[in-house]
Amino acid sequence: MTTASTPSSPDTPAIEALDLVRTYRTHLGVIRRRSIEVEAVRGISFEVRAGELFGLLGPNGAGKTTTIKMLITLLLPTSGTARVMGFDVVRNTTEVRKRIGYVFGGERGLYDRISGLDNLRFFAELYGVEPAAQTPRIQALLELVGLTGREREKVEGYSRGMRQRLHIARGLLHDPPVLFLDEPSLGLDPVGARELRRTIASLVEAGKTVLMTTHYMFEADALCDRIAVINGGRIVAAGTAADLKSVIANRTIVEIETYGVTPDAVERLRADPDVIAVNAEDQEQSQILLIQSERGTEITQRLIQHLGDTRIGKIAAREPTLEDAYVHLIASTGDADGDAARAAAVA
Amino acid sequence: MAASVASVRADLRVVTRVWLFTMKIFLISDFFILTAVVQPVIFASIAFFLFRIGGDAAGEQTLLFAALGTGMMGVWSTTLFGGGGAIAWQRWEGTLELLVGAPRRYDLTLLGQTLGTATFGFYSMIATLAWGVLLFGMPLEANYPLMLPLALLAAVLGLGVMGMLLATTFVLYRHANALSNLLEYPVWIATGMIVPLALLPGWLGPISWVLVPTWGVEAIRGAAIGAEPPWLAIGMNLVLALVYYVLARRILVYVMDKARRDATLSLA
Repeated sequence: MTTASTPSSPDTPAIEALDLVRTYRTHLGVIRRRSIEVEAVRGISFEVRAGELFGLLGPNGAGKTTTIKMLITLLLPTSGTARVMGFDVVRNTTEVRKRIGYVFGGERGLYDRISGLDNLRFFAELYGVEPAAQTPRIQALLELVGLTGREREKVEGYSRGMRQRLHIARGLLHDPPVLFLDEPSLGLDPVGARELRRTIASLVEAGKTVLMTTHYMFEADALCDRIAVINGGRIVAAGTAADLKSVIANRTIVEIETYGVTPDAVERLRADPDVIAVNAEDQEQSQILLIQSERGTEITQRLIQHLGDTRIGKIAAREPTLEDAYVHLIASTGDADGDAARAAAVA
Repeated sequence: MAASVASVRADLRVVTRVWLFTMKIFLISDFFILTAVVQPVIFASIAFFLFRIGGDAAGEQTLLFAALGTGMMGVWSTTLFGGGGAIAWQRWEGTLELLVGAPRRYDLTLLGQTLGTATFGFYSMIATLAWGVLLFGMPLEANYPLMLPLALLAAVLGLGVMGMLLATTFVLYRHANALSNLLEYPVWIATGMIVPLALLPGWLGPISWVLVPTWGVEAIRGAAIGAEPPWLAIGMNLVLALVYYVLARRILVYVMDKARRDATLSLA
């Protein structure tokens, strides 16, 4: 998958990971302490081309953040290799750090009691921005992330969206060619998330390579050139959003809104010979059942019968989305070996 | 040659900018203002009253001796809790990964931070001296006024680098806070901040000599009320600062490697 390349070679992939493995050792018990080894990443390989927006999708604990932290030199891989712009993330940390920016989701990582401008000035120094270039660079970034006019306010008064945009400006201070975004829209309201997506899209248009993780399928569908789905520390599928959707292209999704559906009723749905998969999502007061069946099979009436006395709201049949493909991939690949096997007792 | 000069200038610039930035952060921290200003003033008041009750045998210079000592107690407390806890604080704030992962060397950033902490600690000294002058009529005179800035600078360097050494060491221990509390009072005594070193048991001598605050107190007192210029104390401050820095850098390399191996840079 990975070809030999030099840092200066024009065809060098922006990001390369080859058989990356990362295990954590932790301890259990107080009196009889046992050492446990947890495999967070189990042999991940992929390449991201220069100028590409690559998405990593996966459930919590799938290994996305661990993978990113190895690529940005904050974690050492247990085995395998990774390069950014041709530089090894273990041996050439300084060269890698000069070429990357990274943004983690959430509110931490800023100095709250000083202004956004002071935060950026401080990090500009640490990111090696030449003194004469700092002010124009910061002004340009404030403009890019839409914080012009608010930069002299204390960060503690910023909304979550403003903090996240300040993080992005911070990550871009030294104009890195490669940007890592770990769940950048985490906790943002819909308007904030939309503005953020617009910013990310403009970065890619400007030639940046972006690797991002997200839980939001429509975000990945709208932004990413290619996507890899991680589950249980392994990549279970990779390709364009259309490639991933094609996995379930021959299916129809019936979406049923229910109130107080019982596990027995869900089991009856699963037992239907024409039903391929059933996923239930809890809403505030209702449950949304997503039922996959072969395209062209009319089973809606039967599904209603299986639900028995369950109160039913809206029913709709639709084409599969990326989210359906994702749910299918996660459910079908599962964590084949199970969490228990990933956490092997070694002592 | 030109490249290495430019590199040194860039390194110094990072240390200086982080130094100033850290002072700014401390200036708006209620907790550290309380530690650096209010606490030493209380200690100074106790010391002044004790000396008065004791008959103030050595006269006005004894008041200055006490004021400088109690001022340094505040400097030490700030260094211990602010400098010593620097890495742990950054981890809590979520900034540690950003600072470690920056292209600039992290040891320079940490040095700037602990120097900033130590400099801010000298607010204690200013507060204590002002308190002594205003309330106890303490005369503010120095026997070697031109050496006083040098002595202060040497003491800041020494304490700043000691803060860096403490930060790199403390981060290895989960209960470093308890260790900080344990170290506060013994250093006050062992470095002659409260009572002159000559009054302490002889076996404490070698311990005092390797503790840089001893020479910081000695340099500042020497410039203010000493019989001779405090060149030796200033020199010892600088030598120990260098030794501490070399040690701190070595430990930091180990600590950062361990953190990348054990995934302990963040709390998330």
